[in-house]
Amino acid sequence: MRAVTILLLGLVLALGLAWGERALEVITPLASAAPSFDAPLGRDHLGRDVLARLVVGAWAFVTPGALACGVALGIGVPIGAAAGWFGGLVAAGQRALTASVESVPTLGLVCLGAAIFGPSPQVLGALAGLAWAPRVAEAVRARLESLRQAELVLALEAHGVPPWRVLTHHLLWVGCRGLLLRQALTLFAAVLTLETTLSYLGDLGVAEPTPSWGNMLSFEWGIDGNPWAAAAPALTLWITCVALAWLNEPEARRG
Amino acid sequence: MSLGRGRAGRLAWAALRRALAAVGSVLGATLLLQALVGFAPGDAADLAANDAALRDALSAAWGLDEPLFTRWGRFVLGAAQGELGESLTVRPGASVASLITASGARSAGLALAALALGLGLALPLGFGGARARRLTLILSAAPVFLALYAVMTGLNEGAWALIEAGRIQRPGWFALPDAESGLRWTIGACALAWGSSSLAELQAATAHELGRVRRAPYVLAAQARGEPAWPVALRNLLPPLVEVGASQVAVVLGGLIVVERALQLNGAGDLFWRACSQRDLPLACGLAASAALVVASARLLSDLTRLWLDPRLREAA
Repeated sequence: MRAVTILLLGLVLALGLAWGERALEVITPLASAAPSFDAPLGRDHLGRDVLARLVVGAWAFVTPGALACGVALGIGVPIGAAAGWFGGLVAAGQRALTASVESVPTLGLVCLGAAIFGPSPQVLGALAGLAWAPRVAEAVRARLESLRQAELVLALEAHGVPPWRVLTHHLLWVGCRGLLLRQALTLFAAVLTLETTLSYLGDLGVAEPTPSWGNMLSFEWGIDGNPWAAAAPALTLWITCVALAWLNEPEARRG
Repeated sequence: MSLGRGRAGRLAWAALRRALAAVGSVLGATLLLQALVGFAPGDAADLAANDAALRDALSAAWGLDEPLFTRWGRFVLGAAQGELGESLTVRPGASVASLITASGARSAGLALAALALGLGLALPLGFGGARARRLTLILSAAPVFLALYAVMTGLNEGAWALIEAGRIQRPGWFALPDAESGLRWTIGACALAWGSSSLAELQAATAHELGRVRRAPYVLAAQARGEPAWPVALRNLLPPLVEVGASQVAVVLGGLIVVERALQLNGAGDLFWRACSQRDLPLACGLAASAALVVASARLLSDLTRLWLDPRLREAA
């Protein structure tokens, strides 16, 4: 299931690079045309190919999603590792930071960021990553606190393994990588939701004519003609959200 | 007697510590918001409409020429006195505090209904095992706006087909979301409780707590004595459920922005969206700080309720 999803995502992204021009091509006489060989999901009410827009629209959340994962892990892991390793005041400071950032709803923070810096994938990715970093830090700290009690750590220290090696390899890499993968997947799904939501509501998201699954839906609201033009992004978004949640479940069960 | 006073004192100290932590998290959140405004490219005053004419006045009013901590201190002191400045573009000249109070009152019912509905659904689903888990995961994975889109399209198209066939008269709510009706509010509360995996998260947390309580020695002891286990289980389930509910407050407040915008409901979420899209920074920052206050208060309330309900925590305190 995981391999199929990753393969599909890779295929969609590769096609998205190739179909950039095709997604923007307006053919007015073919407005709201039914599915055909040329456009398998039909055309929207401006005559644009729905499938091409769907495929290109995937880039609207993949770029900020990857950026957000990088920012959240890059900031959250060192903070969480320091809090879990040193404990005491460092851990208290980390918990206070987490409580402060989590007090502001992530969507609110992203909207405010888009208002201040202007809506862009970079702003969305950076702010989502910043908002998520304290959660990563909290998860890493909690895991490290429990792992530090394990006899393995005492044995490693008794065998003279340097502390940095215990922390980076045995605790973070071996002990936390499943947890970090789960955090990254959850964040990626959250960025997908954030991006499509902002683009659906307008003003602070991806603006027409650049495609996003969110603005494709809002663009077809109340338009009669080709029902696939609205159903295709809606179903694709729902299936992607389910797939991401599903991918996360085995990791959740493992811990 | 002295033991009782000592226990009450420890409890009061624990409550005070949690209250101070809540105040700290609100202060931290406001510092984050002020830092965000200060990091704006160029100057936050440049973001406002007609900024050339207003620039000097805005910079002075917002204290943009001052260091971050001075500006933050001024914001916190103003907020403590109920003074959050004036709206710039959404309602020019109107007091931000009064706008927040009026819109917050309209949104509070929707948020509380969504929280209650989410917890009410999560509890029976928590008993459901793996099949209920899979079903909840699949159905609640759709983002809130997509759930709203699907419901509104289904209702509008269905009603239109029946109207055209002459089966029904045009209903009062038709067509969503333009016509004012209670249905919009109900759909909004359901989507908030259901969408963006909110229900799946609540269900997972509830199922985890249920599993823990079911295997707990006090429940097994009650069963061994031949007593019904559910009153014991429910009493021990309440404190973690309160915590789970409080953890969802930030999610629900974020969802309010989507629901009120998509359903054209006039509330704090819609006001926040308009403040951001029209770059009314005093209003947007005021609303975000108010959301932080609500989230921290909910967390504090949950901590205090747990202290009150759970004798083990009281002893530990």
